[in-house]
Amino acid sequence: MQEQPSDREWKKGSAELLVLSLLETRAKHGYEISKLIQMRSGGALSFHVTTLYPLLYRLEERGLVTGRWVEKANQRRRRYYSITPQGRKVLRSQRESWREFVAAIGRVIGGEHA
Amino acid sequence: MPDWKEIIRSRVASLSLSGPAESELIEELAEHLGDRYQELCSGGLAEEEAYRQVISELSDLAPLKATIAEGRRGHAPDAEPSAAGPSSNLAEDFAKDLRYALRTLRKNPAFALFVLVTLGLGIGANTTVFTLVNTLLLNPLPIRDSVKLVAIAGSETKTTSKSKALLPLSYADLKDYRAENQVFSSLAGYISPRVVTLHAGQTSERLFSELVTADYFLTLGLAPAIGRLFDPEDDNDPGSHPVAVMNYATWQGRFGGSTDIVGKRLRINNLEFTVVGVAPPRFIGLNALFGPDLWIPCSMAELLLPTEMRHVLTDRSKTEFLAVGRLKDGTSRAPVQADIQTIASALAHAYPDIDGERTAAVRPLSDVLFNDAGTGWSPVFLGGAVLLVVVGIVLLIACSNVANLMLARATARRHEIAVRLAIGANRARLIRQLLTENMLLALLSGVFGLVIGSVGVQSVWSALPSAANFATPRTDLTVLTFTLTVSLLTGMAFGIAPALRASSVELTATLKQESGRSGRSRSTTRIANTLLVAQVAFSFALLVLAGLFVRSIQRAYEMDPGFQPDRLVILLTNPGQAGYDKARTKAFYRNAGERVARLPGIESVSWASNLPLWARVVNGVQVEGRLQRSKTDTVTSVLNTVDVDYFETAGIAIEKGRAFTDADREDSKPVAVVNQKLANDYWPEGPLGKRIQIPGEAIPREVIAVARTANYSTLAEPPQPCIYVPVSQNYSDAMVLYVRTKGDPRQLLIPIQREVQAAGPGIIASDTRTGRTVIDNGLFQAKVGVALLSLFGLLALALASVGLYGLMAYSVSQRVREIGVRMALGAPQQLVIRMVLKQAMTLVLAGILIGFLGSLAAARLLTRILYGVGANDPLSLAASGCLLLVVSLAACYLPARRASRVDPLTALRES
Repeated sequence: MQEQPSDREWKKGSAELLVLSLLETRAKHGYEISKLIQMRSGGALSFHVTTLYPLLYRLEERGLVTGRWVEKANQRRRRYYSITPQGRKVLRSQRESWREFVAAIGRVIGGEHA
Repeated sequence: MPDWKEIIRSRVASLSLSGPAESELIEELAEHLGDRYQELCSGGLAEEEAYRQVISELSDLAPLKATIAEGRRGHAPDAEPSAAGPSSNLAEDFAKDLRYALRTLRKNPAFALFVLVTLGLGIGANTTVFTLVNTLLLNPLPIRDSVKLVAIAGSETKTTSKSKALLPLSYADLKDYRAENQVFSSLAGYISPRVVTLHAGQTSERLFSELVTADYFLTLGLAPAIGRLFDPEDDNDPGSHPVAVMNYATWQGRFGGSTDIVGKRLRINNLEFTVVGVAPPRFIGLNALFGPDLWIPCSMAELLLPTEMRHVLTDRSKTEFLAVGRLKDGTSRAPVQADIQTIASALAHAYPDIDGERTAAVRPLSDVLFNDAGTGWSPVFLGGAVLLVVVGIVLLIACSNVANLMLARATARRHEIAVRLAIGANRARLIRQLLTENMLLALLSGVFGLVIGSVGVQSVWSALPSAANFATPRTDLTVLTFTLTVSLLTGMAFGIAPALRASSVELTATLKQESGRSGRSRSTTRIANTLLVAQVAFSFALLVLAGLFVRSIQRAYEMDPGFQPDRLVILLTNPGQAGYDKARTKAFYRNAGERVARLPGIESVSWASNLPLWARVVNGVQVEGRLQRSKTDTVTSVLNTVDVDYFETAGIAIEKGRAFTDADREDSKPVAVVNQKLANDYWPEGPLGKRIQIPGEAIPREVIAVARTANYSTLAEPPQPCIYVPVSQNYSDAMVLYVRTKGDPRQLLIPIQREVQAAGPGIIASDTRTGRTVIDNGLFQAKVGVALLSLFGLLALALASVGLYGLMAYSVSQRVREIGVRMALGAPQQLVIRMVLKQAMTLVLAGILIGFLGSLAAARLLTRILYGVGANDPLSLAASGCLLLVVSLAACYLPARRASRVDPLTALRES
């Protein structure tokens, strides 16, 4: 399905929330994050390497996530990202904002009662 | 597989990032693209199509470039220190390496714990032994300039005795040496520690005291802890200086460190002494192991020594003093011997009857400290050397286990290291990082080892009877330096080879490898196998040595000491020290003997001056009929003053003639019994009726019997002459009660003690022991050695087993595919198990063979301290071999079983 401009806007606004929420439980590397987004959204959302990593680097610059190279036995090393306490604060706030936003939109587009 | 790194590199080249930043970016993105590509291929897409799709996802790098160009990719430097090249700041690099090493260890706690415990045990064992060696051998004397101290001992110019034991000097001779010498700034004398009785109210206790000349402490260069040491005046006016200097540990332990110790009056042997000072801490006299509680001026000798040793200050024939001298500044040792011998010659000329065949020798202080009887290496030296070698081997085994583990880890990290080298890491820097990690492990293990060492030393020392007189092992700067050095060397030993190997990867081959499960190279496997064989060899050798010592002690117990130690009770008494005169002492011996003999369960009772395995030796025995080159060409012999029934009670057989009876009285013909050794040496035709003269006696004694030769000083000693004289003709105010019981002697210890105390009020009669205890005490040193050797041998075996298990487990994991193929082709489980065990046991058997040869060589060096056991004792070899084989089989069984349970399908799918 070709991406509409509005889709891009929504993605842009929710991208941080998506990534932070996926990192909430445990650290993950970039490819794992992109796979999870794709799977859990049922394919509706996808982040390619050209959009995911700039996002991760910006989050890292802002101190919301930290990246660390990890080497596990019999595996190539990977860069894992984990959420920081500051990131958790922002996640909570963004989650709340998103819920309010969705609720507000829902109230508006819910239709008038007869 | 496309080279994603190159593709990305070309796309981001325009960003002009620094080397490490660019490398990390490329690596991260390449990983993502590689995973994406694999996902698409696994999903059924053709490779070309998958490639096109991935490239299309890479089409718009603008956001990435924008982020990076804005400097937004300023994520915090990663935890990993840059290996890009040498930094100009070594301290900073080292700090980074250290932080990285700590993080690595935290991430691998199991690995770190294994290394800490393995190396800690090895280093701890070394610290334990070194602490003991340091205390007893390296730093036994807390004395300034001890290199300037030498011992002076007497020796006989013509003697049949082969012993180079330290012969004492007479006090009169010592005074002449002191007055006439040109080489010493100070020359002092002392008599070895003797038991005295301290009376405190109604109770009495034994202390050890050492009689010394007044310049003893001055010669040794000591200062008191409190109070004063002896003055020159304390040598004047014999009997007028009842003063004492106390051992520091005795002051702290026995007298509670009381502040009023100086000036305290002590009743010793019924004489009142005043404590004038306390010796400095750690000083226990001129002996590495054991010293006195009190030092007393030798001017008090006449009042303190046993009857037979009275007149020791005036009688030139009574040789009781050992001498120690401090060389004058600038004097070397060479002229000292000449000077001493000049004086000895003058004395021989002046006193031909007494000193005619005597001279003196300069001996190193170590001869005195370790009581070396001139038989070659002191047992303390030999034991210390053996134990240091043993624990060194244990540490090597621990190091090789850790080295194997490090090699395996290095193999697993090859890809990471290859990437680092590929992106420009400096090899030397890399090696430094790896070494820092290993050295940190080694130092942490050293700290752990120090704790184990302290515990080990306390455990070994606690086996000694607790007394203030023993040297106290301490963890001083020398021990700390030793432990630190051992830790650092250990780190180098197990760390440098893996670090060098890890950093010498073949870049292209390593980077091209898809799988992270690359195995070891053949040479690495060879190294691991060689290390394992060496571990097994050392373990086997140690176990054999421990087995030999166990057998040696067993044999020592089986050996005939020449007397019957079973059903024997020994009790020391010293009526003279309790103030008993001759008549009262004789009455005590009679009454005590009768009272004890009346107890139920007693077979016979007697008295003797010598304890079993404690010999009093006299020099200057004259043997009738012996071709004497001069009047002073005499014999050295053990002398034992004994009562009637002694031989029967002690269980020493009379071979010829008769034992002493009540008819041998003070006013009857002087008689003696000699042992077989003396009889065979001097009277092969038969000794009965021959005459023998004891030094200090005017009239020779007639030999009336020959007794079987026994052990008089130590178990399994070479035969030495012994003369027995009846107590009725050689009064002694200190005798040992011998009691032969019908049943278990332990049950009669208290009753015997009670009867003796009842017969002699004020006489200490609390030191009761059985004959078996005497034998046990005689083997104490050997038992400590066996305990330590066995402990270290088992530790070595445990470490080798862990190494074997690890090696086999790894080997099986590398052969999973091969095993899978075999089983898929129909090989039964038993065959697989046999295959794995065969591989393992081949190494073990090779190790046993090498260990066997090593143990033969080592045992040959130690035969002189083994009782009746040869270097190739079959029982020791068999037991050690069986133990090692059983433990090795157990270690290999789990991996073998795991191998036999490999699912062929799973194994074949693994690449």
